[in-house]
Parts: sequence; C-alpha cells; structure tokens
Amino acid sequence: MKASLTTSAIIHATALTFALVSLGAPEPLDVSYSESLPVDLVPIEEFSQIQQGDKNAPKAERAAPVPTTRPDPVENAENFGDNDVDIKAPPMPTAKPSDNESAAAPAKQETPAPVVDDKPTASTEIAKEDTAPPPQEVASLPQPKPEVTPPTPVTEPSPQPETAAQPEEQMPLPDSVPVPAMRPKPEPPKEQAKPAEKPPEKKPETPKAAEKPSDKKIADKKQEVAKASSSKESDFNADEIAALLNKQAPANGGAKRSQQQAALGGKKTTGGSTLSQTELDALKGQVEKNWSLVAGVEGVEGMIVTVTMQLDEAGAIVGRPQVKTNGGTSDAARRMVEGSVVRAVMRSSPFKNLPPEKYDTWSEVVINFDPSGLL
Amino acid sequence: MEQVGLAAATHDVSLWALFMQAGLVVKLVMIGLLGASVWTWAIVIDKYLSFNKARRQFDQFEQVFWSGQSLEELYRTLSDRQNGGLAAIFVAAMREWKKSFERGARSPIGLQMRIDRAMDVTMARESEGYEARLGSLATIGSAGPFIGLFGTVVGIMTSFQAIAGSQSTNLAVVAPGIAEALLATAIGLVAAIPAVVAYNKFTADAGKLSARMEGFADEFSAILSRQIDEKLQTRQAAQ
Repeated sequence: MKASLTTSAIIHATALTFALVSLGAPEPLDVSYSESLPVDLVPIEEFSQIQQGDKNAPKAERAAPVPTTRPDPVENAENFGDNDVDIKAPPMPTAKPSDNESAAAPAKQETPAPVVDDKPTASTEIAKEDTAPPPQEVASLPQPKPEVTPPTPVTEPSPQPETAAQPEEQMPLPDSVPVPAMRPKPEPPKEQAKPAEKPPEKKPETPKAAEKPSDKKIADKKQEVAKASSSKESDFNADEIAALLNKQAPANGGAKRSQQQAALGGKKTTGGSTLSQTELDALKGQVEKNWSLVAGVEGVEGMIVTVTMQLDEAGAIVGRPQVKTNGGTSDAARRMVEGSVVRAVMRSSPFKNLPPEKYDTWSEVVINFDPSGLL
Repeated sequence: MEQVGLAAATHDVSLWALFMQAGLVVKLVMIGLLGASVWTWAIVIDKYLSFNKARRQFDQFEQVFWSGQSLEELYRTLSDRQNGGLAAIFVAAMREWKKSFERGARSPIGLQMRIDRAMDVTMARESEGYEARLGSLATIGSAGPFIGLFGTVVGIMTSFQAIAGSQSTNLAVVAPGIAEALLATAIGLVAAIPAVVAYNKFTADAGKLSARMEGFADEFSAILSRQIDEKLQTRQAAQ
C-alpha cells in the first residue's frame, strides 16, 4: 500500500506540474474597447414638421428666424434676410446685401474675401518682376493707347470700359477672356487681376512693334486662374450644387423680413405644424361656451371626454363628431355627457379663429374635456 | 511560469494564480480533494496489483491442486509459506483435518463441520482483504463532486460579496472569482470520476474472487468428506 501511495503521489505531482506549465493562463480575448455612441430618439415630427426658425434659439411657441434689421419689405419673399433680392442662401451677419447666390459656407469666412482677392494680384506682380517686362515697359504701355483709341480712358480700373473699347480696336479677342454678357458682374478676383494684366496684353497687339512674346503673359494668366480657383476649392456643399457654380462670396440671405424674436426652428419650413396651445384653448373655449351641462349630475368626477371631429377649411364640422368618455362612476352620466358634448360641438360649428395656413393640422382635431370643471 | 509574471499586471487566470487567489475555505477544499485524488489512485494501483497477483495465485494453485498430487504432500509444501486465497483455505482445512485425526476424532459429522467453519473463516478473512478500502473509493466517488460544489458555492459567494463591495458588475470583476470557484468543482470531479469507475470495477473483481474461493471451498469440503468416510470405514474394519 505504501508503494502504491507513493506512486500515486508521484503521478499526481507530475500531472500537476505538467498542467501548471502547459495549461498556463488562457489567451485573453482580444476585445477592442469602443466608445459607446450616444443615441437620441427623435420623433419624426422634428423633421417632417419643421417651421422655419433659428437652430440655436430657445424653443418658443412659434418658430421664428433671427430678426432682420432692414425694414423695407419685398413682395412675395420666401427666404428670411436683409437682402433686396430673394435668394436661398442663409443670411450672413457680416456680408453686405447683394443679389449673388453662392454656396460658400459661413464657416469659410475665416479667410476673409479681401485676402482672397489680393493673392492673385500679388503673385502676378512678383511673377512679372521675375520673368520678363521691366517696369518701364509697363509704364510706357498707356502712351500708345491714346493714339489708337483716344476716347478710352487710360487708367480705367474696371474691365467694363475696356471690353467696350475692344470692338473699336477690331482685334480678335483672346479665348480665355471672360465674356461679361453671361453674368451681370464678373468675379472679383479676376476683376482685380485683369487691370494689371490687360494693358501689357493689349500693348503688343496694337502697335505690333514691341517684340515682347505673348506666350509668357499667357503662362502668367494661367497661373492666376489656377490660384484663384484653388483658393475656393474647399467650399463644396453638396446640398447647393446650383449655387456652387457661382464662385462669389456668400451673400446675405433672402428678402423676407422677420421682426419676431428668434426661436427654435429649422432652416426651412418642411410643412405641417401643430396647433399651438392657445389655438387649442380657443377651440376648446368655443365648444365650452355652447356646452350646457345639467347642474347636479352625479358621477362626472374624473370623467374625461374625448371628441374627435373633422373640419372643413371654413371651420365647419364634416360628418358627426365622435365622442368617447373615460372614467366617471355611472353609465347614465356618461351617456348624458356624451350627448351634451355632441350638441355643444354641433352648435359651435363653424369654428372661428383657426389659422388657415395650418389647415393640415386641424382638419382632424382631437379635444379632451373635463366635464367636472364646467359644473 | 513566465506567463504568470506577464499576465499579473492585468488579471492572472493561470491555474496556480487561481489557486492562490482563492479564499481559505476554497483552498482547503481544493487541497482536500487533491489528497482524495492521490488516495484514490493509490488504492487503484494497489488493488490492481493485488488482484492480478491473487488471480495468478488462484490459477497456479488450482493447477497444482488438480494435478493429482497427494494432498498431504501439497499441505507439507504450503504450510510453511505465507499463503493467500485458495491456498490459505486449503491450508486451514488441512490443518483442522490433521489436528482432528491426530487426536483421533470420533464423530465424522463434527469433523466435517469444523473443517467447513475453518474454511469459512479463512474465506471471510481473504474476501475482507480483497474488499478493503473499496469503501473509501465509493465515498470519494459520491462525495467528491459535492465537496467540490461546496468549494464553488463558497467561492462564488465570496466573489458576489466582492461585487457588492466594489459596486461594479463588470464581467472582468466577476470572472476571476467565478473561475477560481469553478476550479474547486473541477478538482472534485477529477477525484470522483476515477474513484467511481475503479470502485465498480474492483467490487466486481472482488466478487469474482470470492465466488471462486467459495466454489473451491465447496469442492474441497466434498473431497474431505469423502476422505473422512473412507478413513472411518477403514478404521471400523480394522477394529
């Protein structure tokens, strides 16, 4: 027995040692810790029944955008803003009113528009100094011009007079010069760049004596265009593709004026609305005025009467109102109250003071009454 | 145990760490069950060897016994040895037979009864030897899982108390305590399963050996009774 006990102990010791060595800690499960996502449950009404207002303003009974400052009204305007022209771009606190509809987001305003305008001109000046014409040549450019076309002013900054002058010169225009007929106003960056550049371009064409090669100028211009377009690359907003085609700075919203205090609402009205509490109370009051309940009826305590009725656009009842009572102690009282409510509702038809623009919401109305309050 | 050292920073779940983390009661239960397992296997080894030996001895003795050798001669060779099993029964019966005849027994019935008694006593002693310690196998087999379960319940209780204290129901807090508690049940099962299997096998083996001994005793008793009759007849004829 002693021998077998020793054998057994040795076997156990061996097995345990083996188990401790080979059955080490099991591989820990590879779990990547991910942050929990906050989830908001949002009723669909918050999207399907948005009234135009301000996203950051506190909630109020009626949604309203930030009040506009200019008083002059514009006919049939739909978008709020201080603009003279009704465009869809949101109002900008900084920009001046203009009729320009573009998609540049407000956030992009970190790089102000004037800086963007300066850049191309600065780069062209540097490029010119580096590459070719000395300042004397540029200075001499205006002088031949009066000889050819005396009426055009020499130092005209805007491109409009220059394009007007071109037909007189009878010279073929370069392809890349923008045609102003397409838009009422050309883009500001190009406007600024062209005056510095046009004179040297025109110069070699008119006298034909100067041997300055024009391809250098064309290269310069390409550089400018690339610069100008790259400066606005990141303004992409997929929601406003149409406005995106315009490369001008954002404008100042629509022309609809708003005098109310800003209140919570969406960017635009998406239809639908709910009857406000005051409107509901007014509706209730009209019914209660016509409701005569026999005094001393027993068993109306805690009774709730729910009336469902269809209304037409004039506020008159369509069909018969449906009445349901809950609570109360006696069936007789319940029946009596139902009858009297139906009579009261029929008598108060047509209902007045209902906002016609919200007809969608009050075409079917559900009102709850507490008859014990009327006794 | 490098793994232990590395994993200790987070939460060590190797066997040794689980044992060391356990509470005192659970540790005692585990150690006790480990001892029970050692004892089980000791019995298993011992029984296996002794039963094999017994079976071999039975075979050898039966071969010699039925070889036609005279019983006196066989008794003389066996009587100075330490005997077991069939040989012990044979020697006990022969000793009783010799004593009775040397003193000149009168009654053949009394002699027959004495020889049977002597064989019964020897057989009982031998079977007792075969069945010794099988009872502890049965005990370990039936109680082992319960003892392990007790350790598990205590361990899980402790770990739930720890959860109540730490105010966290994170699985990482609960898991080591439960794993450690379950280790107790595992050890209980490790001890109990071989014990149950061995108990069933060895009780059956012991039963077979006892049956064999009984068969031999009956046969030998018949042979002796025939001898007694013959001797009495020769003695009466001589008188």
